[in-house]
Amino acid sequence: MARLNWRAWATDQEQLDRLHLLEKVSLFSGLSRRQLGKLLVKLFEKAYQPGETIFLEGEPAKALFIVLHGRVSILHTGKEGEDPVATLTPGAYFGELALIDDLPRSATARADEPSALLILYKSHFDDLIEGHSTIAIRVMGNLLKALAGYVRAAHARRASPPATLADAPLPGETAQKSSDRSR
Amino acid sequence: MIPERPRDTSLDSTPTAQTRFTPPASIVWGMAIIGLGLLLHLSRELVLLLLLAAGLAYLLTPLVRIAESAAIRRDIAVTALFIALIVGLVATSYVLLPRLRSEFNTLYAGLPSLTERLDAALDAVQKEIGSEYPVAQRLFPDREVRYERLNAFIEQQSADLPNLVGHLATIAIAGVLIPFLSFFLLRDARKMIQFLMNRLPPAHIETSVAVSCEIERTIGRYIRGLAIDGMIIGTAAALGLWVLGVNYPLLLGAFSGLANVVPYLGPILGAGVATLVALIQFQSLAPLGKVLILYLFIKILDDVVLQPTIVGMAVHLHPILLLASVIVGGHSFGLIGMIVAVPTVTVLQETTKLLLERRRYRAGLQDPHPRTRVPVQSYIC
Repeated sequence: MARLNWRAWATDQEQLDRLHLLEKVSLFSGLSRRQLGKLLVKLFEKAYQPGETIFLEGEPAKALFIVLHGRVSILHTGKEGEDPVATLTPGAYFGELALIDDLPRSATARADEPSALLILYKSHFDDLIEGHSTIAIRVMGNLLKALAGYVRAAHARRASPPATLADAPLPGETAQKSSDRSR
Repeated sequence: MIPERPRDTSLDSTPTAQTRFTPPASIVWGMAIIGLGLLLHLSRELVLLLLLAAGLAYLLTPLVRIAESAAIRRDIAVTALFIALIVGLVATSYVLLPRLRSEFNTLYAGLPSLTERLDAALDAVQKEIGSEYPVAQRLFPDREVRYERLNAFIEQQSADLPNLVGHLATIAIAGVLIPFLSFFLLRDARKMIQFLMNRLPPAHIETSVAVSCEIERTIGRYIRGLAIDGMIIGTAAALGLWVLGVNYPLLLGAFSGLANVVPYLGPILGAGVATLVALIQFQSLAPLGKVLILYLFIKILDDVVLQPTIVGMAVHLHPILLLASVIVGGHSFGLIGMIVAVPTVTVLQETTKLLLERRRYRAGLQDPHPRTRVPVQSYIC
């Protein structure tokens, strides 16, 4: 008779997959499995169809989004319409400025293909970091590093030809995606 | 300027889409609210059951979350939690129930002679006050008049007692149904939220998440805070009364803890009943004063230490609105209405705030929190 694997039987595979994904999100790097678990229970999941707008530039920003499945485009609205600035794949995050201030969205996000996103509401995040200083320090540190990287990339973009600067990854973007974008 | 969301143009191509009458959104919302109110009124007993079940579910949510954060299946966690609760309740009943039952039996046996004993106690207290302050003697009514008034009052109060006994069956059914409903609410909460989230239009998702989170934060904190607060108040009252030598300390402590969930009126009710018991038992002013001081001390402890730390900032209602909501809740749904009034009004207030904020953004009036804004530096290096 096959022995019953109690651990596998009691494990929520869906939650475990999400936990593994959170381990790959750069914003949460340095957090232990236990700390990620605390974050995990605060997340909502939402499915999007291709072409569906996740949020629009100028709308109130209340949450951070993490790509669970699919592909999402970040677009800036200019004089000549929407200008794509990044394409995000599973493990990437966007809308992180919502965690910092109460100002409107600075870009538009749209699903390119059937996608599932994890949503972290700002107040939930605030509650979490209020009670857990280690999580606060790690996440805020990662967020600052991402913003510093963005500022440096923007400075370099102003100083050097665009062809070489496009390689600088945007926050929440994988190096692979960055090189795709530059091509 | 906020860019417009892409519209679904497939509907515009049909001729009926252009001619179809669509009532203004305010009328649709108004009718929907009236319809919902009517539905809630018609099925208010079921709604109350569901609210109480949801309250119990909120109370237990943090424990399920601990299991969920370790990727343990939610159904297993909820089942294990309910089994542990049942075992805990049985063990507590085994220890406390005989004592509580004996206190209740003694109290029940003394009910028929309650008027006489209360009258004797009042008489003794009047004499004590009269001997200390002879002027006060003139303020007290004659013994016959007082006895008649007291008798009429107790008869009026005990007229509702058969009704209460008649409701015992309903209370017993509710006692089974509430944990039963709560079990399923707790087990399937994530699936239900997921179902709703996937059916919501993307344009409303952030506001919906915000509203849902605020409801969860407010109600969860309020209910959990109230339960812990009630337990501490009940224990403190029972201990204090036991030290003072007042009869039925467990029963009175349990009553004080339960009554404490009703804002403002609950503590007065708890202190009133304990004072009445002490009056009948001691027939003297000094122990009465001690009981009142005990309840005053508990109230100060509750207001200064317990409420701010346990219930925290969950409820941001103006005191007048809070009192009004308790009165309206009590008028509409009785005692349970008084308990659920505060979290319901708080949720409505928070939801309205979020919807108004969204409306303000859409109207182009940005930055609703100018005071929290940090001055922008002209450089970063």
